[in-house]
Amino acid sequence: MRKWMKMGLAVTLTSLLAACGTAGNNNGATNNGAASEGAETSAPAELVISTWGFSEDFFKEAVYAPFEKEHNVKIVVEIGYNAERLNKIRQGSSDVDVIYLSDYYAQQGIDEKLFDTVDRANIPNIGKLYDIAKAPLGEEYGPAYTVGRLGIAYNPALVKGEVNSWADMWTAFDNNLTLPAITATAGPMIVDAASVVAGSTEFNEDQSFAKQKELDASVVKYYSQTSEYVNMFGQEEIAGGPIMEMYFKDLQAAVPDAKFVAPTEGAYAVMNTINVVKGSNNKKLAEEFINWQLSKEVQEKSAKAKVDSPVNTEVVLTEDEAKGVTYGADVIGKLRKLDMSFVNQHISEWTDRWNREIGG
Amino acid sequence: MNKRFLYLLLLPGLLFLTVFMLIPIMLTIASTFVQDGKLTLEGYLHFFRDGYFNRILLTTLRVSVVTTVLCVLLGYPAAYYISRTGVRKKSFLLALSIFPLLTSPVVRSFSWMIILGKKGLVNTFLVNTGLIDKPLDILYTPAAMMIGLVHLFLPLIIITLLGVMENLDYELVRAARSLGASSFTAFRKITFPLTVPGLIIGGILVFVGSLTAYTTPALLGGKERVISTFLYQNAMTLNDWQAASVIAVIMIVITFVVVGLMNAWANRLNPKG
Repeated sequence: MRKWMKMGLAVTLTSLLAACGTAGNNNGATNNGAASEGAETSAPAELVISTWGFSEDFFKEAVYAPFEKEHNVKIVVEIGYNAERLNKIRQGSSDVDVIYLSDYYAQQGIDEKLFDTVDRANIPNIGKLYDIAKAPLGEEYGPAYTVGRLGIAYNPALVKGEVNSWADMWTAFDNNLTLPAITATAGPMIVDAASVVAGSTEFNEDQSFAKQKELDASVVKYYSQTSEYVNMFGQEEIAGGPIMEMYFKDLQAAVPDAKFVAPTEGAYAVMNTINVVKGSNNKKLAEEFINWQLSKEVQEKSAKAKVDSPVNTEVVLTEDEAKGVTYGADVIGKLRKLDMSFVNQHISEWTDRWNREIGG
Repeated sequence: MNKRFLYLLLLPGLLFLTVFMLIPIMLTIASTFVQDGKLTLEGYLHFFRDGYFNRILLTTLRVSVVTTVLCVLLGYPAAYYISRTGVRKKSFLLALSIFPLLTSPVVRSFSWMIILGKKGLVNTFLVNTGLIDKPLDILYTPAAMMIGLVHLFLPLIIITLLGVMENLDYELVRAARSLGASSFTAFRKITFPLTVPGLIIGGILVFVGSLTAYTTPALLGGKERVISTFLYQNAMTLNDWQAASVIAVIMIVITFVVVGLMNAWANRLNPKG
């Protein structure tokens, strides 16, 4: 009996593994098929894009559809948060060609050699970008396709006086402030802002953490996603806190009197980048897609729809169109930019310290 | 039926669980004892020597225990009442009590935000009736987390208790009453011990569920961290899978210890099981 069962188990396991193997081979065959077909007609069947889920309809209509038509390609979209999507690439089981990530996460991908280098000759639109967006993570990698700014939004009815600077977070709020969690994209910017408010000209970790600790009592919750912020703001659980300008319109929908300020010390540049994933079979097409995302046409449409702030210098917006959008050489020139490579070197240590001393 | 054929029926399920659950769990556990190619307990020692991790662990255990106790206190009388009602009313009440299981934790948590917030139903009522001057801070506290978890897991304990209570032989209670026992004594000596198995299973489900819940603590909890959100931070944002695996194994061990303790307690209360 036992022998019989062992045999049964072995046969089933073998067939299961064989099935897995065949499935894998089949996939390979399909991919190869697509690639060779692509070589013949220069139109691969699929371009897989990994991105966030916001303004999905806009992207489908204004960004993906025209590109699909022009290049006879089907765009498949994979949606998720920065960390989730980057982890999928890390696991090596993803077939993503192009990935949208904030600069903070993109730097991690670069450090871990997950992205392919790009050939800038295939992305001529890079030349039309503001300098800050051309190569935020180095010449070899993808550009920023949008630059937003992190400032402070607040409900004037719930704060003491005006809020004009990062330092005002320490005085104007009373147990009704929210801050980004250290692991959120804007988390390291608060680490830097606290160092600035503490009076250091060079970044000083100890002073920053001491200053952040002072603020902790006033924080209701450290947010990881902007939706949490918007929700707390609408429910008046918070009077405000640091947020990206692009989301301000959602706050205003809930609290019409809400204000957004670029702090006097400088708002932070939040850059979203676009890169080609290593191992992509469609590198050339991926670069063409990046070029399309940087084109005046797409950049202008997304700015007017208030989906993304433009980085293409050719985009011209009226005063009304520029409301809520980080726009113009003047505004962009004043932004503070973090060194993402430095941030990534220290983020584990900062997170651990933050957990223990502040937000844990 | 041929016994061999019966074994064969077991095979697909067994194989599925082995390949997709048992082996991955074993690999996860094994990976926590290896660092830089050497066998070591360093991963665990690091955590247990760390006051910060112990604090998270204690918070999580406190939240799980309070949630379990509240679920038992609220679920037991409810299940008892439902078990004693007529068929039609019973199915209605049962449907009502399992209703929370049919909505997603995200939707449920958002409903609680509306109820518990500073401008929420509870605070508006308390302020308007003059009971308090300033809204209470309920949302984004451990209390909010526990309220959300009780809402989430109460149906589980009601269903498990109901299963046991419906099979209870109430002739025994009647016999005790006829022999002079008060209704409380009859409950204490007969009904309660006989429903202990349901209480244990329900209690384990609630405890383990609260221990591992992620969405509710992440949405309703404030600055205080629980073990599942800590695991998420390590795995997803810090990409430290070694630490995340150690935390996962600690959670598995706690689960087994709790199951063991509760079974031992059940055996003491009801030795004949």
